[in-house]
Amino acid sequence: MTTKSRLAALAGQPNCGKSTVFNMLTGAHQHVANYPGVTVEKKSGHFSVAGVRVDLVDLPGTYSLTSYSLEERVARDFLLDEKPDVCVNVADVSTLRRSLSLTLQIMEMDLPVVLALNMMDKARKEGVEIDLRILEERLGIRVVPLAAAKGEGKGELMEAIQEQVSIHRHPRQVDYGPLESKIHVLEDWMRDQGTTSSLPLRWLRIKLLEGDAFALEHARGKIAQGEKLADMALRLGKEFEQEHGESVSRHLATCRYALADEIVSSCQKHSFSSRGLTNKIDAVVCHKLLGPVILVGVIFLLYQLSIVQGYNLTNYTWPILAKFKELCGLALPAAGFVDDPMVRALGLWVVDSVNALLNYIPIFLILFTLIAILEDSGYMPRMAFILDRLLQRFGLHGQATLPLVLGGVYVGGCAVPAVMSTKAVPDHRARLATILIIPMLNCLAKVPLYILLIGAYFAQHQALAMFFISTISLLMALPVAKLLTLTVLKKQESAPFIMEMPDYHLPTIGGVLRPALQKVWLFVKKITSIVAAVAVIVFALLRFPGIGAEAMREIEARGDHAQNDFLQIVDTSPLQGRFQLEEIPDLLEFEAAYKQAKIRATSDQDAVLVDKRFSERNAAYLAMVKGQPAEEYGKVSRGLRSLLRERKLIRMEIQKARIDSSFLGRIGQAMEPVTQWAGFTWRINVALLSALAAKENTVATLGSLYQQDADASGSDLSASMKETESGFTSLHALALMLFMVLYPPCLATLITIKLQSGSWGYMLLSLGGQITLGIGVAVLVFTGGSLLDLTGLEAMIAFYCLAVALTVAAAMIPNPPLEPDPGHS
Amino acid sequence: MTRKIIPFVFALLLLGASQAFAHTPLCSCWDNGDGTVTCEGGFSDGSSAAGVGISILDAAEAVLESGKMSETSEFTFKKPAGEYSVKFDAGEGHRIVIPGSQIH
Repeated sequence: MTTKSRLAALAGQPNCGKSTVFNMLTGAHQHVANYPGVTVEKKSGHFSVAGVRVDLVDLPGTYSLTSYSLEERVARDFLLDEKPDVCVNVADVSTLRRSLSLTLQIMEMDLPVVLALNMMDKARKEGVEIDLRILEERLGIRVVPLAAAKGEGKGELMEAIQEQVSIHRHPRQVDYGPLESKIHVLEDWMRDQGTTSSLPLRWLRIKLLEGDAFALEHARGKIAQGEKLADMALRLGKEFEQEHGESVSRHLATCRYALADEIVSSCQKHSFSSRGLTNKIDAVVCHKLLGPVILVGVIFLLYQLSIVQGYNLTNYTWPILAKFKELCGLALPAAGFVDDPMVRALGLWVVDSVNALLNYIPIFLILFTLIAILEDSGYMPRMAFILDRLLQRFGLHGQATLPLVLGGVYVGGCAVPAVMSTKAVPDHRARLATILIIPMLNCLAKVPLYILLIGAYFAQHQALAMFFISTISLLMALPVAKLLTLTVLKKQESAPFIMEMPDYHLPTIGGVLRPALQKVWLFVKKITSIVAAVAVIVFALLRFPGIGAEAMREIEARGDHAQNDFLQIVDTSPLQGRFQLEEIPDLLEFEAAYKQAKIRATSDQDAVLVDKRFSERNAAYLAMVKGQPAEEYGKVSRGLRSLLRERKLIRMEIQKARIDSSFLGRIGQAMEPVTQWAGFTWRINVALLSALAAKENTVATLGSLYQQDADASGSDLSASMKETESGFTSLHALALMLFMVLYPPCLATLITIKLQSGSWGYMLLSLGGQITLGIGVAVLVFTGGSLLDLTGLEAMIAFYCLAVALTVAAAMIPNPPLEPDPGHS
Repeated sequence: MTRKIIPFVFALLLLGASQAFAHTPLCSCWDNGDGTVTCEGGFSDGSSAAGVGISILDAAEAVLESGKMSETSEFTFKKPAGEYSVKFDAGEGHRIVIPGSQIH
């Protein structure tokens, strides 16, 4: 009976079936998190074999263990820091040569290794035989054949893991030929000095010679006389390069590959034939002309199913969230007649913020499932392949196609799922660039403002203006992506892009649903805390310093007045003298509950039952709410409605006054000296700032700002904008629209950016950068247009030409060199 | 004419304590019991539906009556005699049709 648990790591190259092996071993005992400090997903699980609990960690799929990419570093650091009891290396038997070079690198780290040779069923089918005995002997480690997709080899692999934990074999060392003498120099020196390290020594020496940043840092910081050691290793490495005309790292790779090649040749009979079905499908899917057509079809389907149908689904899921809010409302202090206690306002605000993000769950569920299908089937890399050359020109990546489409390349999209889907972009620099430009695309919520402004100022050229606004966002986003790549993101790592086309296979239900559900769950867990934090800050910005006591008293007096008016009306009914002022909150609550019940009623009989129930609860209240019998209660019911109306209006007024006097409102006013050059008055500034919570609000806010000057009825917002802002021309409107295109993402997007980039810095960059850019463009269009005396339409055409020119120019500038290692670890 | 397509006109509610981000359109109607029906609109993020177009359609989907949500996001109309439906139209992706048979 042993209770001590063992730690095992699962390593392997991409597409080797590692996830399938992981699922096979751990079943439902899985847990997903991120590796500390980075956005790389960490899956862990556990299983028991012979009474021993084994904790299994799934490392990111990597081709090697240098420090080239984030994934590689994460995998390597885990193996070095956590020192697992055993490392299970999954390899696709059909790409054994390439896979073994990873195996040899893991072995170099002095860990017990089990080689799990996956996809043996495919090998059998193609008549490829592997002599496992020879393979085991030559590598000096345990080899287990697997067909994980069919569940074959599970027992044997578990046993091998358990066995390997206790028996340490003598793994094969790679002979690095002429480099060995340099390794020995370091070894001798270290022995003479008596220095030692917590890292595997041979591995450390090799890495030092290679000039690996992590190894050098380790030597300098954690080894006695490490400074000398590091300098010596660097000198020896240079020497080697001069003597042999190739870099140490290249030499290492060549030696490993040669050994792998030799081993495979000695144990494998026949080689794999060309991939029949996969090649046939690729002939169509990656075809020069058909390929893009199919791609557009797939993307259209994806957009339709996830964004359009997902939104429809929210109609069914929203009531659940609404119910949740209702329950929270009951738990919080009761609402006042004109104003709510602070605790209630804050509580509901936080619940609303969280709810708003939870509302995306149906969209995410569909989206993540479809993405998993694309990944599992093998189509994803093909998609990237088709568009990669075009997107590369802007510092992006083929895999950015999907996020861009979801974000709204042409029609309205939504930045939140778009940012979430950037996970698929394998290159760190390109991923960040994609995340940062997504919010510049046309999300659905920006559309109402465009329609409002176009209807009012470009009425004669609506189609043209709509086309302009639909395409201009991408034309600005692409040059910005390039600009970011050349500046802020220049030092971000960008790995050489290895595009591998795995075989097509039919996705499995488990392989699709499990990751989809895991991602959604991870999202839910994370947002609740982040959203709460951000929501509180925004709440404070919008609420304080607040309305003056004097103004508040005035508003309250208005509320009292309305209530007293109502009481007077009640006194003309049979309830005269029996209904007091204190009962008004009860009556209002009764009215709200009754209305809800009526809305939920599914049939006429149901509605009768509702009436009966509420009549039992309080017959007098029901009579007042329904106004029946009409001759006695008709007036009361009408009075109640105008009381409710007055209450709503007062509440709106409080909110407006509160925002105007809030920190955010003051910022809007303080910004006027700058924004006047873009044609924005302080009122527009306030509207734009408060729209940060959700873009739809801009129209709502603009509406309320201008409404005060508009007719009570008859005229509409665009008319009132035209009237009140005398001199508000189509040029103003154009500047406002362009600002809106570039306008910072809503809070939900900002939070998702924080989540995906793993840094508050990028979130703030997204916020600040887009505000600056937006104002810059608006100023250029407005001031420039005014100076040249252009109409809005002329300025629109001129700006479009400029954007096209910029996009073409950006495509011509070469990308910065690859950044394999940011120099720290 | 063109102004007819403008949604959210007269939209009033300022960004307040209940505003957030996702925007599923909401519209619910109930029978007042006096021959009229009232519909109340809004968005899941708490945005007001003031100014959003609303129309009452007959069985053949011909428009019987159309108007806009009031500044308090309400619209009251005379209940039509035959089969009818209510269309809440806040623009692309934000439309709701409620059959009269579901209003009680």
